[in-house]
Amino acid sequence: MRVIVQMRPEPDLIQAVVDPSISTPPASDVAGSLPGVRLDPDFVPVPVPQPKPAFSDGDPLSLDQPLTFSLAPEDASVLVRGEIQDRDGAARLALLSSQRADIVGISADPAVETMPTCGNTPPVGDWHDVQRFVTDALKSEGLDGSGVPLAIVDTGINVAHLGTVLGSPVTVDAARSWKPPGVAGNYGQFPVHHGTMCAFDSLIVARKVSLLDIPVLLSQRPGATVMEGLLSDAISAYAHLWGLLEQMPRDRRRLVISNSWGSFKPTWDFPPGHPGNYSDNRAHPFNLIVAALEVSGADILFAAGNCGVECPDGRCGFPSRPINGANSHPSVLSVAGVDTHDARVGYSSQGPGRLAVRKPDIATYTHFSGSKAFGQNLPDSGTSAACPVAAGVVAAVRSRLSVQDLSPSRLRTLIRRSAHDAGGHGYDFDYGYGIINTPQLVDAVRRLAKTTARL
Amino acid sequence: MAPESPTVLITVTLPPRSTIEDAQRRLGLAEDEVDTAYGLVPVDPAHGTYALLVTEAAGARLQGAPEARGSYQGPFANPRIEPFGPVQSKDEEAEDGDG
Repeated sequence: MRVIVQMRPEPDLIQAVVDPSISTPPASDVAGSLPGVRLDPDFVPVPVPQPKPAFSDGDPLSLDQPLTFSLAPEDASVLVRGEIQDRDGAARLALLSSQRADIVGISADPAVETMPTCGNTPPVGDWHDVQRFVTDALKSEGLDGSGVPLAIVDTGINVAHLGTVLGSPVTVDAARSWKPPGVAGNYGQFPVHHGTMCAFDSLIVARKVSLLDIPVLLSQRPGATVMEGLLSDAISAYAHLWGLLEQMPRDRRRLVISNSWGSFKPTWDFPPGHPGNYSDNRAHPFNLIVAALEVSGADILFAAGNCGVECPDGRCGFPSRPINGANSHPSVLSVAGVDTHDARVGYSSQGPGRLAVRKPDIATYTHFSGSKAFGQNLPDSGTSAACPVAAGVVAAVRSRLSVQDLSPSRLRTLIRRSAHDAGGHGYDFDYGYGIINTPQLVDAVRRLAKTTARL
Repeated sequence: MAPESPTVLITVTLPPRSTIEDAQRRLGLAEDEVDTAYGLVPVDPAHGTYALLVTEAAGARLQGAPEARGSYQGPFANPRIEPFGPVQSKDEEAEDGDG
């Protein structure tokens, strides 16, 4: 967290900052060593005048009156800039204030931005922009997802709609798809909805993947309604996927799983600390099967969620740390959303995560004109769209490298290390390690592949 | 009154390639206490952990039951899951209801 610290050091130091005829002393001279603060040495200390009533009978605590401003050393203060750890930010600020008597005040130093992209913002760019930013580098290496099974765990896929928008036929691998008992309809022929959007957003990156249609969110189980399921259905779906993976020989094993869904409300769960809790409990059966599937070789991606502080989805119910359950699992890639201007969308959930602290892992594109699954002028939005874009990137890499060449864990590390550090200070809870950077990723994969002689 | 639906998620530890009947025998569950359509779902095959759905009454009975000791865990939350999009406003959420 970047902060501005307002200080009142010795008057001779204030005089040195105020006086334009002498060179301004550096921040380290003004502030000394501030515990827990990494001072910005490039920020030249700034004098702040003290407002005073213009008249002797004025109110000393009001700004709503005629004022004068004093830069006299006994009145003025000085601003320096620095950074403190995000974790327990409020407690750190309180402790810092109490440890130094010369600190007058501390305030956040937020990035100055225009209004963030929110749910009701029109599309920002289109899917051709996403292809230019993400896909071109992959295509230049022939990484197009050929032969890689990519499971869209969602509301079902409509291939006719996808073919119309993409301009060429799309098929699903019906033999390896799966649906919960009681779900009517054929694979690839479900109503156009969220799952079709997700499939589209993976195909714009990795056009030749083999789509597996897993319409878990169409479950008809008691308690579920249209376009929502129960976590027990997801457990069954993952058991099916585990079975598929175990049938593949290790040197040809690859399976990418894209999950743009999650649990919005703690009221649907047992409370944290209860042994049956899901959101905060790695021993919950779904979190166990996620771990087991990753160990078997699956690349699992989850959307971080749409509960960002600037404009959260109306369904968000967690008072803090909304990235919960498998969306925050240490064995998955948790995906945040940015628009095509590389700015985080205001609804993209921020960390820390509940199962693993460093969530989200990375960010990629959303809120662009794409599948038109929700109407001609509506964007592919939510971290729902970002997750399959990222899944497409993973599938593209997998078209050359099997699990034997590169484990899911090592692939996640490559993606994190090659990401563009959009926050500017290493890992942060908005962008994670940064925005997926496919030119850098392709370089990293190429270097790695030299040792396996596969590229 | 309609019979209770099996909606409570539990896990049981069993040998490899066990069946739903094995789980019923191990835990002393009657057929109408188990969701047989859901079946016995392998969760962590390396450790022989399987999931199944049972009635609330059966779940409550199993807690502390001597025949289940050491092999049964639960009940676990079985929360609703929803797609993360399109992003809904507060008004849309109110129309949909909290359920």
